[in-house]
Amino acid sequence: MEKKLEDLQILVNNLTYHYPDGTIALKGVNLNIYSGEIVGIMGKNGAGKSTLIKTFNGLLKPTTGVVYIENDEVNNVLMSKLTKKVGIVFQNPDLQLFANTVEDEIRFSLKNLNFTKIELENQISLTLEKFKLKKFQNRTPFTLSGGEKKRLAIASIMCRNPEIIVFDEPTIGQDAEGVKFIRNLIKEKHSEGKTIIIVTHDIEFAIDNIPRTILMADGLIIADGPTNKILSQDQILNIGYLISPQLIILSKFLIDLKIKVPEDVYIKENMVQFLGSYFKDKMGITEGGKP
Amino acid sequence: MNLIEFQNFCFRYDHSEDFVLKDININIDSGKFILMCGITGSGKTSLVRAMNGLIPQFYHGEIKGNVLVKGKNTKNVPTSTLSRDVGLVFQNPENQLIAMNVEREIAFGPENIGVPWDEMDSRIKECIKITDIEHLRKKAPFEISGGEQQRVAIASILALQPEIIIFDEPTSLLDPKSAIQILNLLKKILLEKKVSTIIVIEHRLDIVLPLADEIILVDKGRILEQGEAHNVINGEKFLNSGVNIPKCVSVFQQLMNQNIFSGKLPISIEETKNLINSIK
Amino acid sequence: MEAFKFIQKKTIIHILDPRTKLLLAIIYSILAIIFEEIFILFFVFLSLFPFILAGQLFKKWIKSIRGMTFLFLLLIIFNTLFSTFSRSISMIIRIMIMVSSFSLFFLTVHPDDLMLSLLSLKVPYNIAFSFSLSFRFVPTIAIEAQNIIDAQKSRGYEMEQGGLISQARNLIPLLIPLIVCSLKRAFHIAESLDSRAFGSTKNRTYYYSIKYAKKDWLLTIILISLFIFGVIVKIFPEFLPTWFYWKLKV
Ligand SMILES: Nc1ncnc2c1ncn2[C@@H]1O[C@H](COP(=O)(O)OP(=O)(O)O)[C@@H](O)[C@H]1O
Ligand SMILES: Nc1ncnc2c1ncn2[C@@H]1O[C@H](COP(=O)(O)OP(=O)(O)O)[C@@H](O)[C@H]1O
Ligand SMILES: [Mg+2]
Ligand SMILES: [Mg+2]
Repeated sequence: MEKKLEDLQILVNNLTYHYPDGTIALKGVNLNIYSGEIVGIMGKNGAGKSTLIKTFNGLLKPTTGVVYIENDEVNNVLMSKLTKKVGIVFQNPDLQLFANTVEDEIRFSLKNLNFTKIELENQISLTLEKFKLKKFQNRTPFTLSGGEKKRLAIASIMCRNPEIIVFDEPTIGQDAEGVKFIRNLIKEKHSEGKTIIIVTHDIEFAIDNIPRTILMADGLIIADGPTNKILSQDQILNIGYLISPQLIILSKFLIDLKIKVPEDVYIKENMVQFLGSYFKDKMGITEGGKP
Repeated sequence: MNLIEFQNFCFRYDHSEDFVLKDININIDSGKFILMCGITGSGKTSLVRAMNGLIPQFYHGEIKGNVLVKGKNTKNVPTSTLSRDVGLVFQNPENQLIAMNVEREIAFGPENIGVPWDEMDSRIKECIKITDIEHLRKKAPFEISGGEQQRVAIASILALQPEIIIFDEPTSLLDPKSAIQILNLLKKILLEKKVSTIIVIEHRLDIVLPLADEIILVDKGRILEQGEAHNVINGEKFLNSGVNIPKCVSVFQQLMNQNIFSGKLPISIEETKNLINSIK
Repeated sequence: MEAFKFIQKKTIIHILDPRTKLLLAIIYSILAIIFEEIFILFFVFLSLFPFILAGQLFKKWIKSIRGMTFLFLLLIIFNTLFSTFSRSISMIIRIMIMVSSFSLFFLTVHPDDLMLSLLSLKVPYNIAFSFSLSFRFVPTIAIEAQNIIDAQKSRGYEMEQGGLISQARNLIPLLIPLIVCSLKRAFHIAESLDSRAFGSTKNRTYYYSIKYAKKDWLLTIILISLFIFGVIVKIFPEFLPTWFYWKLKV
């Protein structure tokens, strides 16, 4: 995708952040994110990922440097405007669920958005529908299962319809079903033209769903590029406390065997296709036959 | 010998409608690295709570059947006593570290069972050595990283010298490299015979499968399958259970569906490489 | 809270037995309460300095005093309104003495040693242990509270201005998750304590022990003499030169 200046949506320039206790969490971050991108942020615990995303919606004010969200410099704009544009979904739903009913939980998120009464009720019911929470409408959020709570927490941000959606560690502790839900949500929001930022340790999720990855270490961005490139360079992986996804390891192994592999076999379907024809070739089997 | 034996065990929490564990009949024997998997809410955590008496002593509810830990019935022997046989390490190390420095943390368990000072000192030294945390000895829990915290949690359970240690999603909050390091540490503890059996609940099957000897597959409160790792992985039940199937398994599974491959699915990168080599 | 958070160091003050330091805090506080005279309080206050310096706590201490500026201002306003300015000055020194002596204690006593000293004062183990446990979890819960504020603000929550009642109502979105998370945490901690043989035998052993050393006895004797001297002065005011009793005219 060609990146155009007018599509520049987040611009971070020389950003540093010092916590009140003196911890220097960001040491000069530079970053451009374009409208409609899906961007992953990886790096070991304490690298500064959460601190960085918290500057996007005004939770933290830059110590020095600037952060622009579209045309607004975060220092010069009300937080309410930022949180409307940038929605952050935190990992642990327990941090935010408090209302008497599931419905009220959504209503709370819409409180300061100047909806008319009808629009408000509409939006609530639409959201409940979309996140398959309708049947829990009048239940207290605390009796939901872990997966349902997570959906509600995500819904309580999505209902605000932010332009930029940030997920902090969305796949932690999720089984295949939960991962699939998040994958589909990302696809859907992407097709609506939203910008999506995903902080994650989950390399297999990243390689499947995130085209561009930023790697952070010690308050700095140390690499920024296509996820498959980032996740195949040993040196970068070492600094980021990461490992290669299985199919990247496998494709490297094939290359070491002097086997010619297409570049995109890190994608499962491609690997299946490649190995399929390779095996047939090697063993001289015919279509449908067993070796 | 059976370390833990479930006899027709069923359990329902006081506040849950249905039984969350149903007709459990499994045996845990010694000398194994056992992986327990299943989707969220399938009952894995409840199952391990039943292995050291937290169910029914800490979590009350309706019970049928029995659980025996080295012959002791978990209904009658308190968890604090069973903890000498079964150690439990939880997901979030933050909540398991209760002292203000690592050394005191490790001492806590032995202190509780009244181990004399000299023996305590030697246990602490040994546990620090095997978990490789000498440099953290005087540090407070909030001064060290998540991976280090989990090492300390492991050391402090090892100090009680249990025969079985159970880990409930010990790596889910860690970065991939720290996760591998922790899982390798578990394998090392087993191979060096510091414990006789290890049970791990883990979602990242890609990194844990290569270490597993046996798999217990849990679904809707029942044991769907228990057996040697390869056998379980190759079964229909596993592939349809909704757990995260590692990529190399699923690639070969698809090749198998297309009748291009037959044989045992490789469960690790190493096995996949061997398989490709064998065809070459 | 910062003023009371233990910092690991190896100074003579840190090495002292916790009970000695507790005695110090108590005796200084009693002296601060029984006297009202500015000069006497001032000297008592000054005599704390050697301890603060020896413990390398000067910076922390300044911070904690500065943190109370607001309280001091309030004290001055109210005392001058309802009593005298002079009174408000002594009140301030009093509070500084108490805060300083207790923060000296908390800053230099390892929370786990705190437990040991409580035990040696015949406090039951369970109570002493829960005391040290709450110390351990103060920072953890503070971080969690911050995360809750962040999560709620991210969905448009605003700390509203307004009357007391509406402000209290406005705290609900923060308080409920905090209570829920803390309860969950408490459960997890309890579960993990049980799994680590907590309370499995009456004959608990201890890896660390605290011992009253020579320097502790020495300081104890000094502190008690100081205390006795203080009491004597309180009972026989003529003991000190009259200028000690000077008061501000306002
Ligand atoms: N509220 C805080 N006060 C002080 N230091 C903090 C706070 N939050 C995070 N830090 C520190 O800032 C650094 C970056 O943290 P964070 O952004 O949370 O990293 P990540 O999300 O990559 O794990 C770490 O060293 C962390 O300890
Ligand atoms: N303390 C509890 N009280 C009531 N129900 C519980 C409790 N803990 C877990 N459950 C329920 O038991 C079922 C199994 O949960 P759990 O054992 O935690 O599964 P897993 O660890 O596989 O995710 C779930 O439906 C869950 O809601
Ligand atoms: Mg983070
Ligand atoms: Mg669980």
